[in-house]
Amino acid sequence: MAISRSLRRTNPITLVLACLLAFGFLFFLFSPSTSETTLPWKGKHNAPATNPLSPPTAPFHKQTSKTKAKPPPVVHYPLNNVTTSADPEANLETILILTPLARFYQGYWDNLLKLSYPHHLISVGFITPKTREGNFATQQLQDVVHKTQTGPEANRFASVTILRQDFSVPVAQDEASRHKLENQKSRRAAMSRARNSLLFTTLGPSTAWVLWLDADIVETPPSLIQDLASYNKPIIVPNCFQRFINEQGKEDLRPYDFNNWQDSVEAAALAKKMGPEDILLEGYAELPTYRTLMGGIAELEPERDQSTIIPLDGVGGTALMVKAEVHRDGAMFPPFPFYHLIETEGFAKMAKRLGWQSWGLPNYFVS
Amino acid sequence: MNRYPNGKSYDQRDDLYISPHRFAPRSQPALRRRRLVFARFGLIAFVFLSLFLILFPGFRHVALPIISLGLLGGHPRIQLETVRYYDLDDVQGTAKGWEKEERILICAPLRDAESHLPMFFSHLRNFTYPHHLLDLAFLVSDSKDNTLSLLSKLLEELQADENPKIPVGEISIIEKDFGQKVNQDVESRHGFAAQASRRKLMAQARNWLLSSALRPTHSWVYWRDVDVETAPFTILEDLMRHNKDVIVPNVWRPLPEWLGGEQPYDLNSWQESDTALALAETLDEDAVIVEGYAEYATWRPHLAYLRDPYGDADMEMELDGVGGVSILAKAKVFRSGVHFPAFSYEKHAETEGFGKMARRMKFSVIGLPHYTIWHLYEPSVDDIRHMEEMEHDRQKREKEEAEKQARLKNVKDEFTEPNAQWEKDKGELQDRIKKEDEKAKQVNPKGDEAGPNAPPPQKETEATRDQEAAKEAGKDSIIEKPKDKANDAKAEQDTAKDATSKVSGPTTKAESEKESSDIKKSTGKGS
Repeated sequence: MAISRSLRRTNPITLVLACLLAFGFLFFLFSPSTSETTLPWKGKHNAPATNPLSPPTAPFHKQTSKTKAKPPPVVHYPLNNVTTSADPEANLETILILTPLARFYQGYWDNLLKLSYPHHLISVGFITPKTREGNFATQQLQDVVHKTQTGPEANRFASVTILRQDFSVPVAQDEASRHKLENQKSRRAAMSRARNSLLFTTLGPSTAWVLWLDADIVETPPSLIQDLASYNKPIIVPNCFQRFINEQGKEDLRPYDFNNWQDSVEAAALAKKMGPEDILLEGYAELPTYRTLMGGIAELEPERDQSTIIPLDGVGGTALMVKAEVHRDGAMFPPFPFYHLIETEGFAKMAKRLGWQSWGLPNYFVS
Repeated sequence: MNRYPNGKSYDQRDDLYISPHRFAPRSQPALRRRRLVFARFGLIAFVFLSLFLILFPGFRHVALPIISLGLLGGHPRIQLETVRYYDLDDVQGTAKGWEKEERILICAPLRDAESHLPMFFSHLRNFTYPHHLLDLAFLVSDSKDNTLSLLSKLLEELQADENPKIPVGEISIIEKDFGQKVNQDVESRHGFAAQASRRKLMAQARNWLLSSALRPTHSWVYWRDVDVETAPFTILEDLMRHNKDVIVPNVWRPLPEWLGGEQPYDLNSWQESDTALALAETLDEDAVIVEGYAEYATWRPHLAYLRDPYGDADMEMELDGVGGVSILAKAKVFRSGVHFPAFSYEKHAETEGFGKMARRMKFSVIGLPHYTIWHLYEPSVDDIRHMEEMEHDRQKREKEEAEKQARLKNVKDEFTEPNAQWEKDKGELQDRIKKEDEKAKQVNPKGDEAGPNAPPPQKETEATRDQEAAKEAGKDSIIEKPKDKANDAKAEQDTAKDATSKVSGPTTKAESEKESSDIKKSTGKGS
């Protein structure tokens, strides 16, 4: 009697509803995962590695302590297949964004997250000095990195590498002292070493493009990577401006990066008179170089032609897009006077010696 | 009817009336019902889930950790690590790296190196530095032979080795073709005209290899050519012990005797000279000074020429340019940007430019004049021609020798035959004499004096018999004899095993050996 009653109570509609509910629940559970499994690692060279010794541009599987660690496998990296083209997204080209970080700005990270290039093709690398300030920046960085890498799938980067510098920075990095002429050489030499350390340990075998981005770049177009790559140039820099409030109390722009220039006869003559350890610097009255600065030839009106492109002899590091093969050929940031040039300007010179020309976009702004 | 279970109707009872049904907890059937419903739902869900898992195997990775609440190992995606933190202070490189678990990246650029690979791997297996701290990186470029497949095979074997001390750490094979037009054969490789562009291309290859393989975990980088023939197993520790930023051993190569036995090989390790600096001034920007050619007389002190075979292996010498056969450098040198210039850097390229650039960045560059490794000797075209001539001479000489031998043999054969016949006759004669002697002995037991004389002829007869056999069997006998000898030896060994006293073994063996050597002697005489 009790059985028949219970059967009567659970009529077919309830059963059907239950089934539907169960199905819906399962579907809800699994539907986000389906998109996840189809998204990343399309390119074979970008597949997750099996051990932590792998290149830092790719994620790796954590090794469980239970399984006895097998010797790492033999991995082939067909570098002939790593392309750098005008359409990096279609060719699944991986970008390595490198930033020497002395101070952390939340604006920088927010801007990085806004980049519209598929994040699973972006690896990010940082190097921070071992100072009190550097420790603090590292701490802040680790917090936001942790938040992003455990957050929504689409925002996560393929990998994030944080390096700590193995040498000390000679001077404090406050705005006034760091631009002093006599401090420039040692400061920029240390900066070069930081850049090189970061570059040569994180480049790995799968990177197609390297984007150097300074830690104080807080505003770029979201399509920065696609835009810069679309010119298909070995080395390309946008024009870097700084937003400030002018005397009239209005927002204004002023050129910030003076390292993007075309060489002049005067500069060459100056260089000739210099000793082997002297360097030529831009933006100092003591060294009148009369070079053509990219910051100076920009058009500020909104309807400017953003695609204007000019060849450069010296580049700055604020936002610098480089094909990985330029770095692989050996172009690095000389921490010593190289043709009286140092750091990013020396890099442009070295790249030129290796047969790679630098280019600038005077009307394409980042700040 | 309302009744008690015992059949009595409670209406009929007139004592205190308590209805057990009315106050008993009514939940019992409802609970059961609910449980039933739950069970049914559970069943349905289970069926669905298993259907799902059967139909879509891809879901298993996702579903299992959810169901098991992550208690089972789980989906690899969840285990994926995307953030890495490295402190470069931990990988500075010290004098005793093996104690501090410092990783070494071993770099080897390869092109058409198939024939050298087995030798290189034998060196690799013999390295005494802990293998799990070694990472290997190879660049295979523009190879027309089977370098790549052989390399993969050898590496797989290395990693699959049963001895846990053999497999190494990370292994990367970088495949990149630079479209090099320059030949790698010995003649064109060392020709003067090809040097500058060849060195620049080599530098490019080295840079590609290094930039792809260097990791933040490496403390040292060791560059090694695959065509090193002889090097100490402890070379990594030996070089590391000096705790220098860049250090190279002396590289020589063995030569055939007619060329002097040995020769300095790597002339790229040198100290700068004023002559060379003055020469550099006169050259244009893209020129590259190369050592060891009469065109550029630099008068630099070369590491290679300073070798003293009995000198102190720990002696150091400051260098400006280094050779690339075997370089041990701290990884921090490469991290700070020192590389192999693929352009003319201070009129030098590749490893020499590397040395110069390292010096420019205030790193120590040291050579060990009396610590030598040996490069493989590959004969040059001239050498090959000379060797062919020598081979020709040798063959001619051998032929003459053989003819002479044959002639001698003929003569000998012709003259020994009667000799042997005579021996045989003599033997038979002596046999007969002996028999007669024995008869005489039997007849006259006191004839002792004949005894001592008897054995020697007997021995002689044995020898002659052997000779006869040898002659009859011809060449076969020569082959047979060693077999017999082996059998004998075996038999002797068996007996030695059987024997309880170990002392008897060697003696019998020695005896057998003596016997066999006797046999050999006799056959030698015979033929």
